[in-house]
Amino acid sequence: MDREYIKAHLNLHAVFVNLEDLVLYDEEIAAIVKNWNVSLQFIVRNGPRAYVAIHDGRCTVGRGRYKNPSVVLYFFSPAHLNKMFDGKANPVILKGFTRLGFLLKDFPKLTKRLEYYLKPTPELLKNSAYLALNTRFTLTTAVFAIGELGKYDDACKNATSHMRDGVALMKVLPGGPAAHLEFSHGAVVARKGDAEKPMSAIFFKNIKVASEVLNQKLDSFTGVASGLIMPRGQIGMIESIDMMLDRVPAYLG
Amino acid sequence: MKTYTYKKSSALFKRAAQVIPCGIYGHMSPSPYVPAMNYPFYAARAKGAKFWDVDGNEYIDYMCAYGPMVLGYNHPGVDAAAQKQLKSCNCVTEPAPVMVELAEYLVDLIEIADWAFFAKNGGDVTSYAIMVARAATGRKKIVLVRGGYHGVAPWAQAPGHPGVIEEDHANIVYVDWNDIESFERAISENRGQIAGFMATPYHHPTFDDSAFPAEGYWQKIEALCNKEGIVLIIDDVRCGFRIDMAGSAKYFGFKPDLACYCKAIANGYPISALVGTEALKTYAAKVFHTGSYWFSAEPMAAALATLKELKRINAPALMNKKGKKLLDGLVDIARTHGYTLKVSGMPSMPYLRITDDESLMLHQDWCGEATRRGAFFTSHHNWFVSTAHTDADIKKTWNIADDAFKAVKKQYG
Repeated sequence: MDREYIKAHLNLHAVFVNLEDLVLYDEEIAAIVKNWNVSLQFIVRNGPRAYVAIHDGRCTVGRGRYKNPSVVLYFFSPAHLNKMFDGKANPVILKGFTRLGFLLKDFPKLTKRLEYYLKPTPELLKNSAYLALNTRFTLTTAVFAIGELGKYDDACKNATSHMRDGVALMKVLPGGPAAHLEFSHGAVVARKGDAEKPMSAIFFKNIKVASEVLNQKLDSFTGVASGLIMPRGQIGMIESIDMMLDRVPAYLG
Repeated sequence: MKTYTYKKSSALFKRAAQVIPCGIYGHMSPSPYVPAMNYPFYAARAKGAKFWDVDGNEYIDYMCAYGPMVLGYNHPGVDAAAQKQLKSCNCVTEPAPVMVELAEYLVDLIEIADWAFFAKNGGDVTSYAIMVARAATGRKKIVLVRGGYHGVAPWAQAPGHPGVIEEDHANIVYVDWNDIESFERAISENRGQIAGFMATPYHHPTFDDSAFPAEGYWQKIEALCNKEGIVLIIDDVRCGFRIDMAGSAKYFGFKPDLACYCKAIANGYPISALVGTEALKTYAAKVFHTGSYWFSAEPMAAALATLKELKRINAPALMNKKGKKLLDGLVDIARTHGYTLKVSGMPSMPYLRITDDESLMLHQDWCGEATRRGAFFTSHHNWFVSTAHTDADIKKTWNIADDAFKAVKKQYG
């Protein structure tokens, strides 16, 4: 499948999904969106549809149509959407001209903040609060990206179609963050949060280890043998997920 | 029961991780050892069916170096033959006479063999086999069974793995094990394009139960290959000489055109072999395939000594008898603790799993607990039994397994 098409899915469903937690965990952003009551529909010609709805300090990111959105943004192609994510293009506003100020000034505060967390520097990672949020968002992006690649990337689709049914959990010890993938009959759905009885699990010893692995500073083989990463359960699932994880940078790198 | 610690192993791994990619790579990577902290990473010495790690801990080894150890580590007869050859010559400008002796021996030993070709690893000869099949047929495509393992060449790795590109699989067609219809479908969808069908004698994937061929499976595959002019290749690298000295295909009642051997062929000395039928000899001759050490005489002498000894003692029968005894005991011990231990595959290379927990976490903990008590069990891969495993080893293994079950019972209730 076309790389731009897959990247558009990742941008909308694996990157934007972090907005849900951004408004909860970043105090500055939480204060900004506190009184927002807005919903944005993203429509990509020959590509995905998604929405971002922010009401009373809570954000929901979802697939498909949003009923009666306040803003509708149209993109001529997946490449057009991806250029917007790279800061090199603007959408066509189909609905919500009265919200132009919001679109140009307010909403970018969220996306810029998210970008800040998803593009770490060694200096920023020394800050424990930054490290915690970077890890949370990177973990979510990774797991949701696998969910998308499992639907659209040929090699990942192949792996997903033969995956054992069950939940594959990725969790930072001791108390999270966590995200998981639910495989069922050759399909995959990504979710945030812990899972009670996973079929397989990858536990990271702590936030720092998770950050190093997810930011490709520590290879998982060394991490496992060093006791920093603890795989459990169906290792075949974990091997396939590891392969899928390695493909994420091909789209979002 | 005392449990082991791995201070020196861990320290050595830390050093290794600085200078070797992922510390220990490939199939010996500790990453499938779950939990990894229950396992040693480095061996210091070995003898018979045992090895000792760098911390001095002793193990009854049920991985047998992932298959090559078949007569016991440091087998005196094999080592003497290797040493004798080494004193004469090893890696020289020309091959040694032992190469001819070994080829003659394999041709006599293996039912379908009219010739033999030598390399170093199983993957060398699986790759060579598909080249021979392509040279003989003038076709490109190779049919493989999904989940089968044939080495680490890009064509043999699963699509999507790092360093493997789409084009590496452009001419690979996957079918399911024991599924004749999927092979028939592959033939009809690729009519006149399939050079070879490669599979293991029975299906022994990692992370999953082994599966024997269904009644008549191989005979139907053989008939289809003959009808369609497809070269039938048996990858006997893992099973070879642990099921039947004349080749695992003989045991399952079919005749492949090519058969790949490695692992048990030389009791740990580095050599692999492809054997084939007369009809493919000319094509095998035309394919250029070689390596710097493929003519080394020492492993050939070791292989000759190993094969003679394996045949003399009827090693496949012996290993399967020992394996059955071990496994029957383990299944009974599991039952006394309220667990069901499922065994699949040949007793000489069984795959085990505790079925009470589908996620395998309980099974992984049991294998880890057994290992840190002295019976080296893995949870991801089939085990191997050698002719060197003694009744005393088996009894000790049962005691260790029992204690390991007690430990997991405490944890899981």
